[in-house]
Amino acid sequence: MTRSHATPPADTIPSADAGSPAPLPDRDLRREFADREDLIAYVAALFPAAAARDRHVAPTRGGRAAAEATLAAVDPAAYALTRNTVTGRVTRLGPYLRYGVLSLAEVRDHAINAVRRRGDTSKLVQELAWRDYFARVYARIGDGIWDDREPLKTGHDARSYAAELPDDVRAGTTGLPCMDAFVRDLRETGYLHNHARLWLAAYLVHWRRVRWQAGAAWFLEHLLCGDPASNNLSWQWVASTFGHKPYVFNRENLEQYTEGAYCRTCPLYGRCDFEGTYDELSRRLFRLEPADATRRGREAPERRDRGRRDDRRPR
Amino acid sequence: MPSADRSPSQPAHDAVVWVHGDCLSPRGPALRWAPGAPAIWVWDDALVEEWRLSLKRLVFIYESLVELPVTIRRGDVAAEVAAFAAEHGATRVLTAGSPSPRFRSIVEEVERAVPVEVLPVEPFLAYGGHLDLSRFAKYWRVAQRHAYGQASLFD
Ligand SMILES: Cc1cc2nc3c(=O)[nH]c(=O)nc-3n(C[C@H](O)[C@H](O)[C@H](O)COP(=O)(O)OP(=O)(O)OC[C@H]3O[C@@H](n4cnc5c(N)ncnc54)[C@H](O)[C@@H]3O)c2cc1C
Repeated sequence: MTRSHATPPADTIPSADAGSPAPLPDRDLRREFADREDLIAYVAALFPAAAARDRHVAPTRGGRAAAEATLAAVDPAAYALTRNTVTGRVTRLGPYLRYGVLSLAEVRDHAINAVRRRGDTSKLVQELAWRDYFARVYARIGDGIWDDREPLKTGHDARSYAAELPDDVRAGTTGLPCMDAFVRDLRETGYLHNHARLWLAAYLVHWRRVRWQAGAAWFLEHLLCGDPASNNLSWQWVASTFGHKPYVFNRENLEQYTEGAYCRTCPLYGRCDFEGTYDELSRRLFRLEPADATRRGREAPERRDRGRRDDRRPR
Repeated sequence: MPSADRSPSQPAHDAVVWVHGDCLSPRGPALRWAPGAPAIWVWDDALVEEWRLSLKRLVFIYESLVELPVTIRRGDVAAEVAAFAAEHGATRVLTAGSPSPRFRSIVEEVERAVPVEVLPVEPFLAYGGHLDLSRFAKYWRVAQRHAYGQASLFD
């Protein structure tokens, strides 16, 4: 599979042992473990390079039993009301859907059975549809998922974006408490709320002027639900190569949907990089013709565009 | 429920199942149609390194695998699947569908040694017609009428 960057040198890729003798039972890897620690130690020994890069293991458990327990806890009506807030009742089904431990149809059917009014499922079903949509695009374009789908709408030359992830972002030492916390969560838990993914992606692409591909590859290292279709096309949507305009946010937006968790104690409050109205931020970040800068909200009533318009409303 | 699972061409006693990372469900179409058939998962070493998959992702997958009746191996996926089929005297490999281009190329590679039957996972949409994928909104205008399975949003 071709990836546009960060391909390791060939000598680090174990070569296929073509021509080896017929497989022996001792080539079978273990299936029985005393406990989770035992399994983790075994996997770390099987993949020493991965373990050397980062030893974190997520609290989220794999497997069908864990998937069914997570599914049983889904509350479609509460989801619809609270999903945009980082403490909201999101499902955490991402990894199980990613690996097909559960299918979209199973989750949808479960949701329908869990509510009295079918309309209570409509928000969740629409979010599940995003996954279906991205998978269909992936089936059509394949590795083209790594290429810009459309030109950038930021007014900047694509070549002015850095190819590599900056070290301070990878390490979570940017000095921005919100962004550094998101990086830590990504590395330690393999999960970020959708809104945190949007903010971190927008920060990287628009504030740091880094190519979306560098961020997408980084997310795929860590997200338990890391999936080239949903991930790359979401990054492209933020960057504006798969959508009509770039996604940006401001401090008020982040403060609202994190319930002040980072801003309340932030030493940069009132003067951070995200301070300002959307028009001010657009002028600072992009090189748009005046007509473009104010063309928000012209799109079809697509879910996330509507969300974005709401986000942009100063409170 | 609109089940789009297609049954494989024959009973499964001459088949092995290839389990891959887009379908780690005991109810996936291949494992369901061939209960008791030998099944294999192969860790794609090249992919793990190329994508720099983190330990937490690998642990999640391993925990999912040990709940499935599969033999776990590592190496070159196509070569290992073909060798596993030969080991069991199988004349077919059954597997679940996937949108991934790497999946397609592995299937082609395995097919040089043994035929592969790709069984679709139950689709989200009970609809096989045209969908405009240029924007989500265009897709959704059509898809929302088919997204509730047998149920309709308004009954
Ligand atoms: C930059 C960026 C990268 C992303 N990378 C991934 C990724 O690698 N894998 C991935 O599955 N999703 C990705 N998403 C989409 C979304 O953020 C996650 O699916 C969601 O946050 C997972 O958490 P959850 O299971 O609690 O979601 P919920 O909100 O509880 O949603 C339930 C399920 O619906 C699907 N879903 C919900 N929202 C979306 C969406 N916007 N796009 C696609 N599917 C959605 C997911 O399968 C999710 O598990 C990304 C979004 C952004 C902005």
